[in-house]
Amino acid sequence: MKMIRATLLLLALLLLGRAPAPAIQFSSSFESIKIDGRPGEVVSREFRLRLSPGGKRAQFKSRTEDWWASEDGANSYYRPAGTLPRSCATWITLNPVETAVEPGGTLAIRVTAAIPRGVKPGGYWCVLTVDEVPDPLTAPAGVAVQFLSSVSVGIFINIEPVTRAAEIRDVELARGQARLKVCNLGNAPLGAEGRIEFLRPGASAPAATAVIRRATVLTDPAPCRVLSADLPASSSLPAGKYLVLILLDIGVDHYLGVQKEMEIGRDLLAPVAGR
Amino acid sequence: MFSRKVFLGVIVLLLAVAGAAGAQTTVTLPDTSQTTTLTASVSEQAQVTVPSGVTFNVTNVASSTAASAASVTVSNIVLATATKQLKVSIQGGAASFTPPVVGATTWAVGDVTWNAATWTNATGASGTLSNSSYTEVATCAADAATCSTTGLVFTLGAKSTVKRSGSHTLSMTWKFESIGT
Repeated sequence: MKMIRATLLLLALLLLGRAPAPAIQFSSSFESIKIDGRPGEVVSREFRLRLSPGGKRAQFKSRTEDWWASEDGANSYYRPAGTLPRSCATWITLNPVETAVEPGGTLAIRVTAAIPRGVKPGGYWCVLTVDEVPDPLTAPAGVAVQFLSSVSVGIFINIEPVTRAAEIRDVELARGQARLKVCNLGNAPLGAEGRIEFLRPGASAPAATAVIRRATVLTDPAPCRVLSADLPASSSLPAGKYLVLILLDIGVDHYLGVQKEMEIGRDLLAPVAGR
Repeated sequence: MFSRKVFLGVIVLLLAVAGAAGAQTTVTLPDTSQTTTLTASVSEQAQVTVPSGVTFNVTNVASSTAASAASVTVSNIVLATATKQLKVSIQGGAASFTPPVVGATTWAVGDVTWNAATWTNATGASGTLSNSSYTEVATCAADAATCSTTGLVFTLGAKSTVKRSGSHTLSMTWKFESIGT
Protein backbone atom coordinates (compact mmCIF):
# COMPACT_ATOMS: atom_id res chain seq x y z
CA MET A 1 0.00 0.00 0.00
CA LYS A 2 2.81 2.32 0.98
CA MET A 3 4.56 1.55 -2.30
CA ILE A 4 1.42 2.45 -4.30
CA ARG A 5 1.01 5.72 -2.40
CA ALA A 6 4.64 6.63 -2.93
CA THR A 7 4.39 5.81 -6.64
CA LEU A 8 1.22 7.91 -7.03
CA LEU A 9 2.86 10.79 -5.19
CA LEU A 10 5.92 10.56 -7.41
CA LEU A 11 3.72 10.49 -10.53
CA ALA A 12 1.77 13.50 -9.30
CA LEU A 13 4.97 15.41 -8.64
CA LEU A 14 6.30 14.51 -12.09
CA LEU A 15 3.07 15.61 -13.77
CA LEU A 16 3.08 18.83 -11.76
CA GLY A 17 6.63 19.49 -12.83
CA ARG A 18 5.74 19.01 -16.50
CA ALA A 19 2.47 20.88 -16.38
CA PRO A 20 2.53 23.96 -18.60
CA ALA A 21 3.03 27.21 -16.73
CA PRO A 22 -0.02 29.45 -16.66
CA ALA A 23 -0.46 32.08 -19.31
CA ILE A 24 0.47 35.65 -18.55
CA GLN A 25 -2.15 38.37 -18.70
CA PHE A 26 -1.48 42.07 -18.30
CA SER A 27 -2.80 45.49 -19.22
CA SER A 28 -0.31 47.94 -20.56
CA SER A 29 -0.09 51.48 -21.73
CA PHE A 30 0.61 51.69 -25.47
CA GLU A 31 0.74 55.46 -25.55
CA SER A 32 3.80 56.88 -27.24
CA ILE A 33 5.70 59.36 -25.12
CA LYS A 34 5.81 62.63 -27.06
CA ILE A 35 7.95 65.50 -25.92
CA ASP A 36 8.39 68.93 -27.46
CA GLY A 37 11.61 69.91 -25.79
CA ARG A 38 14.52 72.27 -25.86
CA PRO A 39 18.24 71.49 -25.67
CA GLY A 40 19.28 71.15 -22.05
CA GLU A 41 15.74 70.43 -20.84
CA VAL A 42 14.86 67.48 -18.57
CA VAL A 43 11.37 65.99 -18.95
CA SER A 44 9.79 63.06 -17.10
CA ARG A 45 6.89 60.79 -18.00
CA GLU A 46 5.52 57.50 -16.65
CA PHE A 47 4.80 54.09 -18.19
CA ARG A 48 2.46 51.66 -16.45
CA LEU A 49 1.78 47.95 -16.82
CA ARG A 50 -0.59 45.97 -14.59
CA LEU A 51 -0.60 42.21 -14.13
CA SER A 52 -4.03 40.66 -13.94
CA PRO A 53 -5.06 39.27 -10.55
CA GLY A 54 -4.98 35.51 -10.25
CA GLY A 55 -2.13 35.07 -12.68
CA LYS A 56 1.51 34.39 -12.01
CA ARG A 57 4.19 36.66 -10.59
CA ALA A 58 6.44 38.02 -13.31
CA GLN A 59 9.76 39.76 -13.51
CA PHE A 60 10.13 42.63 -15.98
CA LYS A 61 13.21 44.36 -17.31
CA SER A 62 13.07 47.67 -19.13
CA ARG A 63 15.44 49.43 -21.48
CA THR A 64 15.50 51.99 -24.24
CA GLU A 65 16.55 50.95 -27.69
CA ASP A 66 16.37 52.04 -31.28
CA TRP A 67 13.53 50.95 -33.52
CA TRP A 68 12.48 51.09 -37.10
CA ALA A 69 10.09 49.18 -39.31
CA SER A 70 10.45 47.75 -42.78
CA GLU A 71 8.89 49.70 -45.63
CA ASP A 72 5.77 47.51 -45.62
CA GLY A 73 5.58 47.61 -41.83
CA ALA A 74 5.69 43.81 -41.53
CA ASN A 75 9.05 43.66 -39.77
CA SER A 76 10.15 45.64 -36.74
CA TYR A 77 13.82 46.06 -35.97
CA TYR A 78 15.06 46.76 -32.46
CA ARG A 79 18.72 47.62 -32.02
CA PRO A 80 20.95 48.85 -29.18
CA ALA A 81 20.62 52.46 -28.05
CA GLY A 82 22.45 54.89 -30.29
CA THR A 83 22.42 52.76 -33.45
CA LEU A 84 20.37 55.29 -35.42
CA PRO A 85 21.54 58.85 -36.15
CA ARG A 86 18.34 60.32 -34.68
CA SER A 87 18.21 58.09 -31.64
CA CYS A 88 17.03 59.50 -28.32
CA ALA A 89 17.70 56.23 -26.49
CA THR A 90 20.90 57.44 -24.81
CA TRP A 91 19.10 60.51 -23.44
CA ILE A 92 16.67 58.40 -21.41
CA THR A 93 17.02 57.01 -17.91
CA LEU A 94 14.53 54.53 -16.48
CA ASN A 95 13.57 53.82 -12.93
CA PRO A 96 13.20 51.01 -12.02
CA VAL A 97 15.09 49.03 -14.63
CA GLU A 98 14.13 45.60 -13.33
CA THR A 99 11.49 44.57 -10.88
CA ALA A 100 9.09 41.77 -10.00
CA VAL A 101 5.36 42.36 -10.20
CA GLU A 102 2.87 40.37 -8.17
CA PRO A 103 -0.51 39.32 -9.62
CA GLY A 104 -2.75 42.37 -9.51
CA GLY A 105 0.29 44.59 -9.05
CA THR A 106 1.39 47.52 -11.18
CA LEU A 107 4.75 48.24 -12.72
CA ALA A 108 5.32 52.00 -12.95
CA ILE A 109 8.45 53.10 -14.75
CA ARG A 110 9.61 56.68 -14.57
CA VAL A 111 11.00 57.74 -17.95
CA THR A 112 13.29 60.77 -17.76
CA ALA A 113 14.62 62.40 -20.91
CA ALA A 114 17.63 64.70 -20.54
CA ILE A 115 17.95 66.48 -23.88
CA PRO A 116 21.59 67.27 -24.56
CA ARG A 117 22.67 70.86 -25.02
CA GLY A 118 23.71 71.64 -28.56
CA VAL A 119 21.49 68.98 -30.14
CA LYS A 120 20.40 69.82 -33.69
CA PRO A 121 16.74 70.62 -34.42
CA GLY A 122 14.37 67.94 -35.69
CA GLY A 123 12.72 64.79 -34.51
CA TYR A 124 14.46 62.12 -32.46
CA TRP A 125 12.95 58.80 -31.50
CA CYS A 126 13.57 55.55 -29.66
CA VAL A 127 11.41 53.03 -27.80
CA LEU A 128 10.88 51.97 -24.24
CA THR A 129 10.88 48.18 -24.20
CA VAL A 130 9.57 46.26 -21.23
CA ASP A 131 10.45 42.56 -21.43
CA GLU A 132 9.17 39.69 -19.35
CA VAL A 133 12.21 37.94 -17.89
CA PRO A 134 12.20 34.12 -18.19
CA ASP A 135 11.59 32.27 -14.97
CA PRO A 136 14.03 29.34 -14.72
CA LEU A 137 11.57 27.47 -12.49
CA THR A 138 9.01 27.30 -15.29
CA ALA A 139 11.38 26.22 -18.06
CA PRO A 140 9.54 23.77 -20.31
CA ALA A 141 10.50 20.13 -20.66
CA GLY A 142 10.82 18.21 -23.91
CA VAL A 143 11.09 19.87 -27.28
CA ALA A 144 9.44 23.18 -26.57
CA VAL A 145 9.29 26.89 -27.16
CA GLN A 146 8.87 29.06 -24.09
CA PHE A 147 6.84 32.21 -24.68
CA LEU A 148 7.75 35.58 -23.20
CA SER A 149 5.98 38.89 -23.62
CA SER A 150 7.33 42.28 -24.50
CA VAL A 151 5.77 45.70 -24.92
CA SER A 152 7.38 48.57 -26.76
CA VAL A 153 6.12 52.13 -26.77
CA GLY A 154 7.58 54.92 -28.83
CA ILE A 155 9.42 57.91 -27.43
CA PHE A 156 9.36 60.88 -29.81
CA ILE A 157 11.24 64.07 -28.96
CA ASN A 158 10.92 67.11 -31.20
CA ILE A 159 13.40 69.96 -31.04
CA GLU A 160 12.18 73.07 -32.87
CA PRO A 161 12.34 74.01 -35.64
CA VAL A 162 10.75 70.82 -36.93
CA THR A 163 10.20 70.50 -40.68
CA ARG A 164 7.30 68.27 -41.68
CA ALA A 165 7.27 67.37 -45.36
CA ALA A 166 6.47 64.25 -47.34
CA GLU A 167 5.89 63.01 -50.83
CA ILE A 168 3.61 60.32 -52.21
CA ARG A 169 5.82 58.38 -54.61
CA ASP A 170 3.74 55.46 -55.77
CA VAL A 171 0.14 54.31 -55.74
CA GLU A 172 -0.97 50.77 -56.41
CA LEU A 173 -4.42 49.20 -56.34
CA ALA A 174 -4.38 45.44 -56.11
CA ARG A 175 -6.12 42.55 -54.41
CA GLY A 176 -8.74 44.73 -52.79
CA GLN A 177 -6.20 47.08 -51.28
CA ALA A 178 -4.75 50.46 -52.11
CA ARG A 179 -1.09 50.85 -51.25
CA LEU A 180 0.78 54.11 -51.41
CA LYS A 181 4.45 54.73 -50.79
CA VAL A 182 5.05 57.84 -48.72
CA CYS A 183 8.53 59.26 -48.19
CA ASN A 184 9.54 61.64 -45.45
CA LEU A 185 11.35 64.74 -46.72
CA GLY A 186 11.46 66.54 -43.39
CA ASN A 187 13.61 66.24 -40.29
CA ALA A 188 11.17 64.44 -37.97
CA PRO A 189 8.98 61.31 -37.96
CA LEU A 190 5.49 61.85 -39.31
CA GLY A 191 2.17 60.32 -38.43
CA ALA A 192 0.35 59.88 -41.74
CA GLU A 193 -3.26 58.91 -42.37
CA GLY A 194 -5.95 59.96 -44.79
CA ARG A 195 -8.50 58.85 -47.31
CA ILE A 196 -8.93 57.92 -50.94
CA GLU A 197 -11.85 59.33 -52.89
CA PHE A 198 -13.16 57.71 -56.07
CA LEU A 199 -14.90 60.23 -58.32
CA ARG A 200 -16.77 59.47 -61.53
CA PRO A 201 -15.60 61.69 -64.43
CA GLY A 202 -17.17 65.12 -64.06
CA ALA A 203 -18.60 64.41 -60.60
CA SER A 204 -17.81 66.69 -57.69
CA ALA A 205 -18.72 64.26 -54.90
CA PRO A 206 -16.95 60.93 -54.47
CA ALA A 207 -18.79 57.73 -55.35
CA ALA A 208 -16.85 55.92 -52.63
CA THR A 209 -14.05 56.51 -50.17
CA ALA A 210 -11.45 54.35 -48.47
CA VAL A 211 -9.65 55.09 -45.21
CA ILE A 212 -5.84 55.10 -45.25
CA ARG A 213 -4.66 53.53 -42.02
CA ARG A 214 -2.33 55.54 -39.81
CA ALA A 215 1.37 54.74 -39.92
CA THR A 216 4.55 56.44 -38.87
CA VAL A 217 6.97 57.52 -41.56
CA LEU A 218 10.43 57.84 -40.07
CA THR A 219 13.49 59.58 -41.37
CA ASP A 220 16.71 57.53 -41.59
CA PRO A 221 17.11 54.56 -41.91
CA ALA A 222 13.66 53.91 -43.38
CA PRO A 223 12.34 57.23 -44.74
CA CYS A 224 9.66 55.60 -46.91
CA ARG A 225 6.64 53.64 -45.73
CA VAL A 226 3.84 51.87 -47.56
CA LEU A 227 0.43 52.93 -46.26
CA SER A 228 -2.62 50.87 -47.07
CA ALA A 229 -6.38 51.13 -47.30
CA ASP A 230 -9.05 48.53 -47.90
CA LEU A 231 -10.89 49.28 -51.12
CA PRO A 232 -14.67 49.69 -50.97
CA ALA A 233 -16.86 46.74 -51.90
CA SER A 234 -17.73 46.40 -55.57
CA SER A 235 -21.33 47.29 -54.73
CA SER A 236 -20.29 50.83 -53.86
CA LEU A 237 -17.45 50.98 -56.37
CA PRO A 238 -18.71 49.50 -59.66
CA ALA A 239 -16.23 48.85 -62.45
CA GLY A 240 -15.42 51.87 -64.57
CA LYS A 241 -13.21 54.90 -64.98
CA TYR A 242 -12.56 57.00 -61.88
CA LEU A 243 -10.54 59.95 -60.78
CA VAL A 244 -8.77 58.60 -57.71
CA LEU A 245 -7.93 61.36 -55.26
CA ILE A 246 -5.58 60.63 -52.37
CA LEU A 247 -5.63 63.01 -49.43
CA LEU A 248 -2.99 62.52 -46.78
CA ASP A 249 -2.85 64.21 -43.40
CA ILE A 250 0.75 64.44 -42.15
CA GLY A 251 0.09 66.82 -39.29
CA VAL A 252 0.58 70.09 -41.14
CA ASP A 253 -2.00 72.78 -41.98
CA HIS A 254 -2.82 71.30 -45.37
CA TYR A 255 -3.41 67.87 -46.90
CA LEU A 256 -0.91 66.22 -49.16
CA GLY A 257 -2.76 65.19 -52.30
CA VAL A 258 -2.31 63.36 -55.56
CA GLN A 259 -4.85 62.33 -58.13
CA LYS A 260 -4.79 59.72 -60.79
CA GLU A 261 -7.27 58.65 -63.45
CA MET A 262 -7.77 54.92 -63.17
CA GLU A 263 -9.79 52.20 -64.82
CA ILE A 264 -11.23 50.06 -62.08
CA GLY A 265 -11.91 46.55 -63.23
CA ARG A 266 -13.72 43.70 -61.58
CA ASP A 267 -10.60 41.70 -60.87
CA LEU A 268 -7.80 44.13 -60.17
CA LEU A 269 -7.43 47.84 -60.71
CA ALA A 270 -5.24 49.01 -63.55
CA PRO A 271 -3.79 52.50 -63.83
CA VAL A 272 -4.39 54.22 -67.17
CA ALA A 273 -2.73 57.57 -66.68
CA GLY A 274 -0.08 59.31 -64.63
CA ARG A 275 -0.62 61.88 -61.92
CA MET B 1 -35.64 80.96 11.50
CA PHE B 2 -38.83 82.97 11.83
CA SER B 3 -37.01 86.28 12.19
CA ARG B 4 -34.91 85.62 9.07
CA LYS B 5 -38.02 85.01 6.96
CA VAL B 6 -39.50 88.31 8.13
CA PHE B 7 -36.29 90.17 7.35
CA LEU B 8 -36.22 88.82 3.79
CA GLY B 9 -39.85 89.77 3.35
CA VAL B 10 -39.06 93.36 4.25
CA ILE B 11 -36.25 93.59 1.74
CA VAL B 12 -38.48 92.26 -1.04
CA LEU B 13 -41.12 94.83 -0.15
CA LEU B 14 -38.63 97.72 -0.15
CA LEU B 15 -37.28 96.68 -3.55
CA ALA B 16 -40.82 96.50 -4.92
CA VAL B 17 -41.57 100.00 -3.71
CA ALA B 18 -38.30 101.36 -5.10
CA GLY B 19 -39.02 99.77 -8.49
CA ALA B 20 -42.43 101.31 -8.65
CA ALA B 21 -41.07 104.80 -8.00
CA GLY B 22 -38.87 105.12 -11.17
CA ALA B 23 -38.97 104.06 -14.88
CA GLN B 24 -38.70 100.33 -15.42
CA THR B 25 -35.40 99.04 -16.80
CA THR B 26 -34.51 95.53 -17.87
CA VAL B 27 -31.34 94.37 -16.17
CA THR B 28 -29.58 91.26 -17.35
CA LEU B 29 -28.30 89.41 -14.36
CA PRO B 30 -25.09 87.43 -14.66
CA ASP B 31 -25.46 83.65 -14.87
CA THR B 32 -24.48 82.49 -11.44
CA SER B 33 -24.93 78.76 -12.15
CA GLN B 34 -21.79 76.74 -11.62
CA THR B 35 -20.56 74.06 -14.03
CA THR B 36 -18.09 71.40 -13.10
CA THR B 37 -16.41 69.66 -16.02
CA LEU B 38 -15.46 66.05 -15.38
CA THR B 39 -12.57 64.95 -17.55
CA ALA B 40 -11.34 61.39 -17.84
CA SER B 41 -7.88 61.13 -19.31
CA VAL B 42 -7.70 57.83 -21.20
CA SER B 43 -4.33 56.66 -22.41
CA GLU B 44 -3.70 54.21 -25.24
CA GLN B 45 -3.92 50.77 -23.68
CA ALA B 46 -4.72 47.09 -24.17
CA GLN B 47 -4.91 43.85 -22.25
CA VAL B 48 -2.76 40.99 -23.48
CA THR B 49 -3.02 37.25 -22.79
CA VAL B 50 -0.26 34.93 -23.98
CA PRO B 51 0.22 31.23 -23.20
CA SER B 52 3.38 30.07 -21.51
CA GLY B 53 4.61 28.15 -24.52
CA VAL B 54 4.10 25.25 -26.87
CA THR B 55 5.50 21.73 -26.81
CA PHE B 56 6.39 19.65 -29.85
CA ASN B 57 5.89 15.93 -29.28
CA VAL B 58 8.53 14.81 -31.73
CA THR B 59 8.12 11.13 -32.50
CA ASN B 60 9.92 11.17 -35.83
CA VAL B 61 12.73 13.67 -36.36
CA ALA B 62 12.54 13.04 -40.11
CA SER B 63 9.07 14.60 -40.24
CA SER B 64 7.78 17.96 -39.20
CA THR B 65 5.83 18.19 -35.94
CA ALA B 66 2.95 20.52 -35.23
CA ALA B 67 2.24 21.75 -31.71
CA SER B 68 -1.24 22.13 -30.29
CA ALA B 69 -2.95 25.33 -31.37
CA ALA B 70 -2.07 28.34 -29.24
CA SER B 71 -4.44 31.10 -28.15
CA VAL B 72 -3.49 34.76 -28.05
CA THR B 73 -5.85 37.55 -27.07
CA VAL B 74 -5.53 41.31 -27.14
CA SER B 75 -8.57 42.95 -25.57
CA ASN B 76 -9.73 46.33 -24.28
CA ILE B 77 -7.80 48.02 -27.07
CA VAL B 78 -7.90 51.80 -26.77
CA LEU B 79 -5.84 53.79 -29.28
CA ALA B 80 -5.56 57.45 -30.20
CA THR B 81 -7.23 57.32 -33.61
CA ALA B 82 -9.65 55.04 -35.44
CA THR B 83 -6.98 54.19 -37.99
CA LYS B 84 -4.15 53.36 -35.59
CA GLN B 85 -3.44 49.66 -35.16
CA LEU B 86 -1.80 47.32 -32.69
CA LYS B 87 0.71 44.87 -34.10
CA VAL B 88 1.57 41.43 -32.77
CA SER B 89 4.90 39.96 -33.82
CA ILE B 90 7.38 37.36 -32.61
CA GLN B 91 11.13 36.83 -32.48
CA GLY B 92 13.23 33.89 -31.42
CA GLY B 93 15.56 34.36 -28.47
CA ALA B 94 18.54 32.56 -30.02
CA ALA B 95 19.83 31.25 -33.32
CA SER B 96 19.01 27.70 -32.30
CA PHE B 97 17.31 25.62 -29.62
CA THR B 98 19.33 24.73 -26.55
CA PRO B 99 20.06 20.98 -26.85
CA PRO B 100 20.00 18.60 -23.88
CA VAL B 101 23.73 18.01 -24.29
CA VAL B 102 26.20 20.76 -25.10
CA GLY B 103 27.22 20.56 -28.73
CA ALA B 104 24.46 18.18 -29.77
CA THR B 105 22.67 18.85 -33.04
CA THR B 106 19.39 20.61 -32.54
CA TRP B 107 16.86 22.72 -34.43
CA ALA B 108 17.62 26.19 -35.74
CA VAL B 109 15.31 29.10 -34.98
CA GLY B 110 14.28 29.11 -38.65
CA ASP B 111 12.94 25.57 -38.31
CA VAL B 112 9.93 27.02 -36.47
CA THR B 113 7.11 28.22 -38.69
CA TRP B 114 3.52 29.23 -38.04
CA ASN B 115 0.30 29.26 -40.00
CA ALA B 116 -1.83 32.18 -41.12
CA ALA B 117 -4.34 31.49 -38.40
CA THR B 118 -7.90 32.69 -38.40
CA TRP B 119 -8.10 35.72 -36.14
CA THR B 120 -11.06 37.64 -34.90
CA ASN B 121 -10.60 41.28 -35.93
CA ALA B 122 -7.17 40.70 -37.40
CA THR B 123 -5.54 39.22 -40.44
CA GLY B 124 -3.08 36.52 -39.56
CA ALA B 125 0.17 36.13 -41.46
CA SER B 126 2.17 32.94 -41.74
CA GLY B 127 5.88 33.17 -41.17
CA THR B 128 9.21 31.73 -40.19
CA LEU B 129 10.80 32.50 -36.85
CA SER B 130 13.90 34.70 -36.87
CA ASN B 131 16.17 35.81 -34.08
CA SER B 132 17.22 39.02 -35.84
CA SER B 133 13.89 40.77 -36.31
CA TYR B 134 10.32 40.61 -35.12
CA THR B 135 8.04 39.13 -37.75
CA GLU B 136 4.39 40.01 -37.88
CA VAL B 137 1.89 37.40 -36.75
CA ALA B 138 -1.16 39.64 -36.94
CA THR B 139 -2.18 43.26 -36.93
CA CYS B 140 -5.40 44.02 -35.13
CA ALA B 141 -8.01 45.68 -37.32
CA ALA B 142 -8.29 49.43 -37.03
CA ASP B 143 -10.80 50.50 -34.38
CA ALA B 144 -11.22 46.93 -33.09
CA ALA B 145 -11.70 46.56 -29.35
CA THR B 146 -10.44 42.98 -29.30
CA CYS B 147 -8.45 40.73 -31.56
CA SER B 148 -7.70 37.10 -30.87
CA THR B 149 -7.02 33.65 -32.20
CA THR B 150 -7.32 30.15 -30.85
CA GLY B 151 -5.80 28.51 -33.88
CA LEU B 152 -2.19 29.58 -34.09
CA VAL B 153 -0.21 26.45 -34.92
CA PHE B 154 3.56 26.37 -34.66
CA THR B 155 5.37 23.67 -36.60
CA LEU B 156 8.87 22.35 -36.06
CA GLY B 157 10.56 21.26 -39.25
CA ALA B 158 12.08 17.86 -39.90
CA LYS B 159 15.65 17.48 -38.70
CA SER B 160 16.94 13.97 -39.24
CA THR B 161 20.39 14.92 -37.95
CA VAL B 162 19.04 15.31 -34.40
CA LYS B 163 20.41 12.39 -32.38
CA ARG B 164 19.83 13.30 -28.73
CA SER B 165 16.54 12.89 -26.93
CA GLY B 166 15.55 15.14 -24.06
CA SER B 167 14.84 18.83 -23.75
CA HIS B 168 15.49 21.01 -26.75
CA THR B 169 14.18 24.43 -25.78
CA LEU B 170 13.97 27.90 -27.26
CA SER B 171 12.53 31.10 -25.88
CA MET B 172 10.37 33.25 -28.11
CA THR B 173 9.17 36.76 -27.40
CA TRP B 174 5.77 38.13 -28.32
CA LYS B 175 6.00 41.80 -29.11
CA PHE B 176 2.99 44.03 -28.73
CA GLU B 177 3.44 47.48 -30.19
CA SER B 178 1.58 50.43 -31.57
CA ILE B 179 4.52 52.75 -32.06
CA GLY B 180 3.65 55.98 -33.72
CA THR B 181 3.64 59.73 -33.60
